[in-house]
Amino acid sequence: MVKSFDKISGVVFLVISILFITGSLQISGSAYGSAVGPKTYPLILGIILGLLSLRLIYETFKKNTESQKNEKPQMKYKNLGIILISAILYITLLEIIGFVLSTFLFLLVAFQVMEKGKIISSIIIAAVFSIGVYLMYVNLLGGTLPKFSLF
Amino acid sequence: MDTVQFLMDGFATALQWHNILFALVGVIIGTAVGVLPGIGPMSGVALLIPVTATITSGMPTEAAAASSIILLAGVYYGAMYGGSTTSILLNTPGESSSVVTALDGYQMAQQGRAGAALSISAIGSFVAGIISLIGLVLLAKPLSNLALEFGPAEYFSLMLLGLCAVSGLAGKSVTKALIMTVLGLMLGTIGIDAVSGIARFTYDIPVLYGGIEFLTIAVGLFAIGEVFKTILEREVDEQPIAKINRILPTKQDLKDSAKPIARGSLLGFFIGVLPGAGATLASFFSYITEKKVSKKPESFGKGNIAGVAGPESANNAASGGAMIPLLTLGIPGSGTTAILMGALIMYNVQPGPLLFNDHPDIAWGLIASMFIGNLVLLILNMPLVKVFAKIIQTPKKYLLPIIIAISFFGVYAVQYSTFDLYLLIACGVFGYLFTKNDYPVAPLVLALVLGPMIENNMRRALTISNGDWDIFVTSPLSLLFLIIAVAWIVVPLILKLLGRKVVINEEE
Repeated sequence: MVKSFDKISGVVFLVISILFITGSLQISGSAYGSAVGPKTYPLILGIILGLLSLRLIYETFKKNTESQKNEKPQMKYKNLGIILISAILYITLLEIIGFVLSTFLFLLVAFQVMEKGKIISSIIIAAVFSIGVYLMYVNLLGGTLPKFSLF
Repeated sequence: MDTVQFLMDGFATALQWHNILFALVGVIIGTAVGVLPGIGPMSGVALLIPVTATITSGMPTEAAAASSIILLAGVYYGAMYGGSTTSILLNTPGESSSVVTALDGYQMAQQGRAGAALSISAIGSFVAGIISLIGLVLLAKPLSNLALEFGPAEYFSLMLLGLCAVSGLAGKSVTKALIMTVLGLMLGTIGIDAVSGIARFTYDIPVLYGGIEFLTIAVGLFAIGEVFKTILEREVDEQPIAKINRILPTKQDLKDSAKPIARGSLLGFFIGVLPGAGATLASFFSYITEKKVSKKPESFGKGNIAGVAGPESANNAASGGAMIPLLTLGIPGSGTTAILMGALIMYNVQPGPLLFNDHPDIAWGLIASMFIGNLVLLILNMPLVKVFAKIIQTPKKYLLPIIIAISFFGVYAVQYSTFDLYLLIACGVFGYLFTKNDYPVAPLVLALVLGPMIENNMRRALTISNGDWDIFVTSPLSLLFLIIAVAWIVVPLILKLLGRKVVINEEE
């Protein structure tokens, strides 16, 4: 996995560096009154990244013959997937259904994904956290968090 | 006399009741962070920046900055105390600087001497903390006076040195570490250019004009990344925890560990001051040193108390020593201090030589609070070590989702934009992928913090010299910094070519 990741990332970094170099060339040149404009520094960075990514690609292909380590079995990709999706849903819903409700739902789902069962203590902990943080932040510290605003 | 006066003023700041509270909360959270495997000091501090920003939002800027940095620094050195607990009781280090503690500490626990090991590491940490603070007090003024002489060229080279030092020692591959550094510098260029006011790499997307927020990146890469890792690689079976019988060490224990503590403290302090070499290296070197000077080197790894006392003192002394370049020069030497620096910049406080003149309250208040915090930690850790040991048993089921929720709340409360939350999730995924494939993320965060300053100093220096790049090598100090910077990258490479084993610094 490390090796194939390195190959892909080496290429990706190379592409990023090329995009960065072309991007910095489009920045207008010297700023008034100073010898070095806003484009020089990003240009240098882009070139350095390009060289480094070439070196990374070279290193990975050189070591290509090495045997690969066995990865740990039982990676819980499904769990992480569900939590990622619910996190994204959480962000989308945050400003629509408000902080308390969205946080509560997210925590409840995440708790159950981590380990099924104990639904009542999950509900209690999720409710205490979301309502507690809201009350403390809004009432005690005078901040604002999104409220329920469907209407 | 001057220094004593400043220190007394610092104590006046640190002893305000809310600052005592902040220090107390900081070290307690820090100890918990150190105890919990999976959350290191770096993600702990990153996670707490938005929380402290929220709590201090009603205070005047100066006082708010002082209070939050007191709390955040408390988390940093508190974690050094807490990290030993899991090493000793569970044989699973809570953070990388306690890895060597596990070698002898766990053996001691197996022999029923867990209490002695824990209390010796608390005492060692306390002594080391105080020694490194005295060093900090003594060095702060002279170093910041020296740094005041620096021009932009010297600063540019010094920051480059800081970056090279951290990259040279981070992770298994220098290439990967350097790539991460450059990526961090690149991220730092996004937004409005501070000198010319031209928008760079914003592609007309409004949220990008303000630049990429350091806080979002740091919390995402460290805290969220680690949570994702733990979710994926969670082990269901829990290990049994060693019992703690007697807490106080015997007289023999104290006698055996006095010298290792003294050696570890001094060694750790000097390693901590060096950029790039952090607490992990310090504890590692201390262990090797103890083994070398010991009359019975074969007893190491079988429960020798010197193997606990030395490294534990060293890692705490290193965390104190690491504050010196941060506060006096404005150059963070490690990932965690980079995050502390980012926090200070958020409050519009620029760490560096002027800190001691412009914001004496913050600088000296922080130093004084560290004396108080270390004392609190000693008191907390001796009788309450059993309570902290219980934290290990916090079910991950609840802990991990709540860490995600706290990060979301914190970032949203500070940034008030959902864009930053999406960025947070993306950084979490990248943070996991990068760490898994040996791309160290600490250099990226360090570079993101230093990037804008590096560019500004570079352009200032070039403006002074009318665009002549020679300015960086004609100034002797600047040349010296550049030579050291190059050496930091090249020497490990040469050693590797010669077949030597090079000690690397794990993420801390």
